[in-house]
Amino acid sequence: MSVKGRNHVQVSGSGPATMFFAHGFGCDQNMWRLLAPVYAKRYRIVLFDNVGSGQSDLSAFDKDKYGSLHGYADDVLEIVHEFGEGPAIFVGHSVSAMIGMLANLAEPSRFAAQIMIGPSPCYINDGDYVGGFTRKDIDSLLETLESNYLGWSSNMAPAIMGAPDQPQLGVELTNSFCRTDPEIAKHFARVTFLSDVRPEVSKLTTPTLIVQCNDDLIAPLTVGEYLRSALPHGTLTVIDNVGHCPHLSSPSRSASAIDEFLAKEGL
Amino acid sequence: MPSDLDKAPVGLIQTSDDGTFLRVNQTFCGWLGRSPAELIGKQRFQDLLTMGGRIFHQTHWTPLLRMQGSISEVKLEVRHADGTTIPMVLNALRVEEDGVMRHELAAFVARDRDRYEQELVQSRKRLEELVAEATRLRDDAKDRALFAEQMIGIVSHDLRNPLSSILMASALLGTGELSVREQRFVSQISRATERANRLIADLLDFTQARLGGGLSVTLEPVDLHAAVADGLEELRLAHPSRALLHVRSGEGPCTADASRLEQMVGNLVSNAVVYGQPDVPITVTSRIEASSFSISVHNAGPPIPPATLATIFRPMTRGVAAGSKSRSVGLGLFIVREIAKRHGGDASVTSTAEGGTTFTATFPRAT
Repeated sequence: MSVKGRNHVQVSGSGPATMFFAHGFGCDQNMWRLLAPVYAKRYRIVLFDNVGSGQSDLSAFDKDKYGSLHGYADDVLEIVHEFGEGPAIFVGHSVSAMIGMLANLAEPSRFAAQIMIGPSPCYINDGDYVGGFTRKDIDSLLETLESNYLGWSSNMAPAIMGAPDQPQLGVELTNSFCRTDPEIAKHFARVTFLSDVRPEVSKLTTPTLIVQCNDDLIAPLTVGEYLRSALPHGTLTVIDNVGHCPHLSSPSRSASAIDEFLAKEGL
Repeated sequence: MPSDLDKAPVGLIQTSDDGTFLRVNQTFCGWLGRSPAELIGKQRFQDLLTMGGRIFHQTHWTPLLRMQGSISEVKLEVRHADGTTIPMVLNALRVEEDGVMRHELAAFVARDRDRYEQELVQSRKRLEELVAEATRLRDDAKDRALFAEQMIGIVSHDLRNPLSSILMASALLGTGELSVREQRFVSQISRATERANRLIADLLDFTQARLGGGLSVTLEPVDLHAAVADGLEELRLAHPSRALLHVRSGEGPCTADASRLEQMVGNLVSNAVVYGQPDVPITVTSRIEASSFSISVHNAGPPIPPATLATIFRPMTRGVAAGSKSRSVGLGLFIVREIAKRHGGDASVTSTAEGGTTFTATFPRAT
């Protein structure tokens, strides 16, 4: 199976470096529809879906491989190898910021910059560390996911997966950007929200930007502060945004923060 | 909220882009034991959700509203003023009104549907558990069967050494000065040991066919009729009281493992001796045709019951012999078919009251 098909990799733009955009838990690469085009004039752009999300190849989903963030990080490295040209700038939202960090730690020389949007190295409160959630909250999320199939039905999945961009085929496309096999969604939710990669953060030597929203339930300010102090080369930029997806709700503020960081790093 | 919608049988909500309540109808407030005054301008819609719902609101609801402008059929638990939660199904629309973005929400209580869905989820979980349990049991059974077959192989192999010692010792005994009585005992020992050896050879073939890569077969040019005749010669010595006829048909070169063909004839004739009508000769036919050759063994007697016929080539299948003098563990026919298969052929059987029983192994002729 090709990496391109497995992760539904989409390449566009051109430039001296390659920007990789990785979506987090919930939806798919469409999340970057407002931000990625801004950079296509200056960089080579690589978009992809994590296996199990969007239009990735669901047959590639393996509970064991994707039972930790490392499985996803292995895929990221393969994508960087196959589609990267020049230095890699990795833009990861939420859990994918940490997946990108793990990929980076496996092969730091490949990465020139890490950009983390709403990242969290650990979602669960732990002693003095405030991740924002308890184990019970995550169980409650799993129940919510169980009640919401968002346009999913296993017997129509092949049709959807085969012809996602052809509504003329009569396939109902409502909610398609967040459509996932409910079992995979719950698995990814567990792996995401129960992950704890705090011990890895201090190993990341690549210059890193944390784009932190001032009002974000999933990644509260305290988590952004934690990351800034734990990262050897971390820059924290807090932007005025309510919610966890500033790349959708505040694309220009997000872009300004990223531009400033890239300029400082000479990229 | 227009007064005619205030009591509509659906909860109606308008919020700002960040979720702050702007308008809310009486129906929605009534369901949740809250007043418009405590919601409007003070709370955000997502504040009324459980923590799981609030995460979902961030990871699914908000992005979808942004990307497709609407979201439908979302089921969330909404918190009542008394601390309980009420399952609601919600639709939402993100629209521009006077230059600002607004969210229009419609909600209805879905308690019965929620209970029904819980039932379905529970049933599915139970079903999954049962399937997992069945799979585990099947795997266990497979493991046990494999272990048993391996044991058969090991034990059979290790029995060969003591048996060959017995055979050699009885042969040496036979060369000495013996009384008639002693002579009889010695030849009984020899015959019994040879039977045991054949049984072990069958068991080893069986384990090799099942666990190894299949029976070993060495294909060489073979004189079919002569090979069958050689086999019959030995069988006549072993069964002096039975008439064995050999019918030859056709001529030409064949390719096969001669010793395996003799083994096959031996297994089929032994069966015919045990199950066939004693006063009718057993007929062994070796036949060479244009593109195939075959060996068949016929005996008269009562037919094999249809139920047995269907599984007769499976290991451990045994017929009911006239006298209950069974002579093997039921591997003979399995091995016959394995030998045929290893030659690229197959084995078959026909059995009727009038025609008697005929086992036939057919082989392709080398091309």
